[in-house]
Order: sequence, then structure tokens, then C-alpha cells
Amino acid sequence: MKTEYLTLTATFQPSRTRHRLIFPGLILLVLIFFILDILLGSVSLEVSEVITALSGTADTGVETIIMKFRIPKAITATVVGIALSLSGLQMQTLFRNPMAGPYVLGISSGASLGVAFIVLGLSANISPDSLKGLGNWSLVAASWAGAGVIMIVMLFLASRVKDILTVLIIGIMLSGGISAIVSIMQYFSHETMLKAYVIWTMGSLGNLTASQLNVLLLSVSAGIILSLLSVKMLNALLLGENYAGSIGLNIRFSRIIIFTGTSILAGSITAFCGPIGFIGIAVPHIARILFRTSDHKILIPGTILTGSAVMLLSDIISQMPGSDNVLPVNSITALMGIPIVIWVIMRNRKYSGIF
Amino acid sequence: MTTDGKTILSLESLKIGYTKGARNDAILPPINASACRSELVAVIGRNGIGKSTLLRTVTGIQKSLEGKISINNKNINDYSRLQLAHNIGYISTEVIKVSNMRVYDLVALGRFPHTNWFGKIDPVNHEAVIDSLEKTGMLTFYDRFVTELSDGERQRVMIARVLAQDTAIMVMDEPTAFLDISSKYEIIHLMNELARYRGKTIIYSTHDLETAISQTDKIWLLLDDQLREGAPEDLILEGSFEHLFDSSKVSFNSGNGTLSIKKDEKGSVFVEGEGAVKYWTEKAVNRAGFSIARKKRNTIVRAPSGKNTKWVLLREDLYLEFGSIYELAAFLII
Repeated sequence: MKTEYLTLTATFQPSRTRHRLIFPGLILLVLIFFILDILLGSVSLEVSEVITALSGTADTGVETIIMKFRIPKAITATVVGIALSLSGLQMQTLFRNPMAGPYVLGISSGASLGVAFIVLGLSANISPDSLKGLGNWSLVAASWAGAGVIMIVMLFLASRVKDILTVLIIGIMLSGGISAIVSIMQYFSHETMLKAYVIWTMGSLGNLTASQLNVLLLSVSAGIILSLLSVKMLNALLLGENYAGSIGLNIRFSRIIIFTGTSILAGSITAFCGPIGFIGIAVPHIARILFRTSDHKILIPGTILTGSAVMLLSDIISQMPGSDNVLPVNSITALMGIPIVIWVIMRNRKYSGIF
Repeated sequence: MTTDGKTILSLESLKIGYTKGARNDAILPPINASACRSELVAVIGRNGIGKSTLLRTVTGIQKSLEGKISINNKNINDYSRLQLAHNIGYISTEVIKVSNMRVYDLVALGRFPHTNWFGKIDPVNHEAVIDSLEKTGMLTFYDRFVTELSDGERQRVMIARVLAQDTAIMVMDEPTAFLDISSKYEIIHLMNELARYRGKTIIYSTHDLETAISQTDKIWLLLDDQLREGAPEDLILEGSFEHLFDSSKVSFNSGNGTLSIKKDEKGSVFVEGEGAVKYWTEKAVNRAGFSIARKKRNTIVRAPSGKNTKWVLLREDLYLEFGSIYELAAFLII
């Protein structure tokens, strides 16, 4: 009898077959895109060239391309995809809003305000040459602070308006206000600093120095660890704060953890790669469609893999393989993300409040 | 108020409401009430009097302004959020609309206080989830999305979630609102069973006075000046329910615990007949604005009996026949 009962309850396990198929598929896709991202570009490379370059016996030109440019850029793309998508996922759950994302809610703008303070604000007092001496950590910390402040403001405002699209409009307003402040700062800042800032706003995956990449990797790892620690809290928050509290969640503590994780993830990327839009909002929805679950135990790894795949693909497309032109990666992510965002808005006309 | 060993929840001079700056806005006078193990308690009061606020305060989601709430003789302020979640579960009126969330996952969230930091559903937790789904009759729905459920099914799943939380006390805010009649009775039946056979103390708010009177062990009656508690029958005999209504419009019949809307009486009618036909004819006459006379009056309605299949109205020189109560009532209303 006992064994019969056990087999019976075993059949009532939620179906995981779908996940068993999709996870390996996504891992494979990320690997393929990662390799393609290294191989394709203005100079197309052969696999054999990459292997010889990695073993250190290739000619210096190819080795430089691979070791100094292609591999760091592919790693950056992966990390950017992971960080932006994860921060988007966490924000969507925290705000209980399918439209939440670091870019649309102005969190990236907040981060860029932090960067502007460092790059432009200090330029009045220091010489342009010392910009590098400011250090990557101060840049990234300013970015976190900017992202964190805007996030607190947004959460405060969003708790007062329940409507999803109103929150979105407030996000646009905040971004507008921030870019106005930045414009004023630009107006009063030194020419060289201004140029440095403008180039930064264009966003790029390929301009990171080795030390910047290290800072980025460390910060994003910290962010990922924080999200993994918040899996249970995020699941509880899906039910809203009243229910989450009633099942034993410490709302304030969980908010601080999720807040910190999200600000670190979104802020670090913005600090080094500029504002990159629509990945954070769109990728969690792709992951939900793929995995058909709301469980963050599945969604977090799912979003990590989907985010890397989408960002690597965006980078491959932006290289325009076979031509000498390079498109801004911002435009590619926007073109891929916006249809998904519109689809979510259209779907939400029916179920207001669902995500 | 009894305070024997069975009392699981007690409210002492409890003030509920909201803090605005430094000012406390209590919405009700201090409340004293209690509930025992295995009791079904209905919270009744007019709209906006503070039923939801009371339930949220009892659950610990909202801070009380003054006074004391004790669970098992221990102040709830001395419980941590997590310890409280082991003792008291809550269902609000808020509808869960998370897309891609399956019934199993929602009920598994009830295991929150029992799982590890990652929320892992081990075999023990899985067993508890399955058990709760089974008790609420929702086991076959385990793989469905919560957004695809009917109102009644969703309410059952919400109850399964609180069951999985495995608390001695379950607090539900209007669990039967928005439900059709059959789902409403199914939910009440389920709550009754959980109280009776699973030893749960269930405190729920409702506007359905008649069901509360016939099904619950105790009623917390929220009035503007106080909270009265007791068995429904005690409250009826004390005449407490009359305070709920504007007595010029609604009357509460303490004979059978039913409500009726008062109308200006147009006169009294004597109804001849027997059994169910007489009973329902009287109801219709009443509805049309006449009182029922005990003795023969000028106006007589003869209900069908024996060979006679029509309703007959006799008044002075008037003699009218009607094929149905509908036609009779239509005439009387004019």
C-alpha cells in the first residue's frame, strides 16, 4: 500500500520534462553563439585559427584580435545579457509589473547620472588626464548609487499608482528629468570630459580594458549570488506583500537584498557599457514563454541563459559579419526587445496586472 | 468571555486603525473577543466598519494601535514574522493573477515557513502539498495555471495553500464573495469540515448573515460602538442583529433568523390553504405589501387545493381567479 501511495504522489509532481529539454538546448545555443561571436566580425576567422591562437602559436595579428578583442567582447556580451536580464526579472517581480526593467523605469538613467557626476561633475576640479586615475570602482560605485536612488524613488511612486502603464510613464518622466540634469552638466563641463561622456553614452561591449572587465565580472558575480539568495523571497513576493508577509517573509529584509542585487547588476553594466535598452524587460518574458513557469528556481537560471544567448546574438548581428561596418548594439537590442514589449502590453489589455 | 485551555486566540482591548503621522485613527472602540480550537467564527458587520482591518491586524500584517492579540497565550508581537506564519494563515480578497503559475506552485508557496532558504520542496513538503490539494478536492488540478481557474476553484486552491502552511488558525477575508451559490456552499462546507475534523480555528468575514447563523460556532458582530461575540443563537436572543440594520427598512425575524425588507403595509390579507402552497402564497402576498391576517378579513386569498387549481381573490363584491402566483402578485402590487 505504502509504495502504491508513493508512486501515486510521484505522478503529481509538476511536469519538468519541458525544462529538461530547454535547459540543455539553451546551454548549447549560448555556446554556439559564443563561438560565432568570436569567429564572426569584420575579419572572419577559422576555428583552427582560434585554437592555435589559444595555444599561443598563431601569428600575432590573429592572436591580438582573438585574445584582446573578440574573447573579451564575447565575455562582456554574455555578462551584460545575464546582468540586465536578471535585474529585469527581479524588478518585474518586485514591482509586480510586467513592464518593469532597468531601462524603461529609468534605473539605467539613474546609473548614467552617477557616471555623469563622476565624469563631468568632477572635471571642474581635476585635469582630464586624471580620469583614468579615478578608478573603475568609483565609476561603478557611482553607477550603483544612481541606480539605487532611482529605484527607491520608483518603488515609492509605483506603490501609490497601481496601474502598470502609469508606472511606465513615470519612468519615462524620470528618465527625461535625468537627461535634463545631465544636459546641464554637459553644458558646463570641459570639452574633453564631454567627449568622454558622449562616447560612453553610445554604449559598447568592446571598449572594456582588462581591469574594467575584472571589476564587471566581480560585480555581476556578486549580483548573481544575491539573486540566487533571493529565489525564495522572489517567489513569495509574486503573491503580493500581504500574502508574502502572511507566509512568513520579512518584507523589509527581502526588499533590501533584491534592491541591492538589482542595483549592482543594472548599475555595473551601465557604468562600463553605457545604457543598453530592452534586454532587461524583454528577456524575462522570453524565459517565461519558454519555461511556462513563475518559479524563480527555474526562471533565474533560465533568464541567465536566455539573456546571454540574446545578447550574444545582438552582438553578432551588430558586427554585420562580412562587412566593415559595425552597428550600435543599442539599436539591435531595441529592435529585438520592442516587439516583445508591445506583445506584453497587448496581452495585458486582457489581464490587467498579470505578468 | 471564556479563557479556558481551549482558547487559541484572544483579543484584549484591541484598537485597530491607521496611524497618520503621530496621530492614531482608531476606527472602532476597543475590541475584546476570543476564539477556541476547532471553531468556525464568522465576522459580521456593515460595509466599511473595519472587518478587513480587524482580520489583517489579527494576522499581524497590520500593526495594532493599542491592546493585545494573543495566540496560545503569547502576544503576537513576541512572535517573529516566521513564527507567526507557523501559527496563523491568511486569505485576503485579493485575487492572485500571476501568469504561468501552476496550482501546485501556489500551494507549495504555503510551505514557505517549512522550507529551506532556497524554498526546496523535499518529499515531506511535497506530501503536505498533495495532502492539502486532496483535502480541498483540487488534486486533479495540480498542473493547471491559476489564471485558468474559476472563482470557486481558485478559492479552494487558496484554502489548500493555507492548509499546506499547516497553521492552527486560518483567517479568511470574505472567502465566499463573488462565488455562485453552489461554490459558496461548497466552500462553507469545506470550512466547516476543516474546523470540525482537522481541528482548525477558522475566522472569516462575510455578509451572508443567514448562512453564518446556521453554520458557525461563534459570531463576532462588529457594531459601531462595540464587538459582540457569542453563538449565533445567543446573539439572536439578545437582539444584537437588529443593530446591524436600519430598522425602518429591514426587519430581522428572530423567530427563524431570516431577514425581510419592510414595506408600507397596504392592509392585511387572509390566506386559505395548506402546506407549501399556503406558505409560498403568503410569501407572495407579503412581498406585494400586505400583512398576513390570522383571522378572516375582508380580503381573502384562496390557494389551490383539491380540485381547485386556481388562486382566488375575494374582496367584498370582487371575485378574481389567477392561474399562478405571479399573476396574483402582479394584481396585488398594483
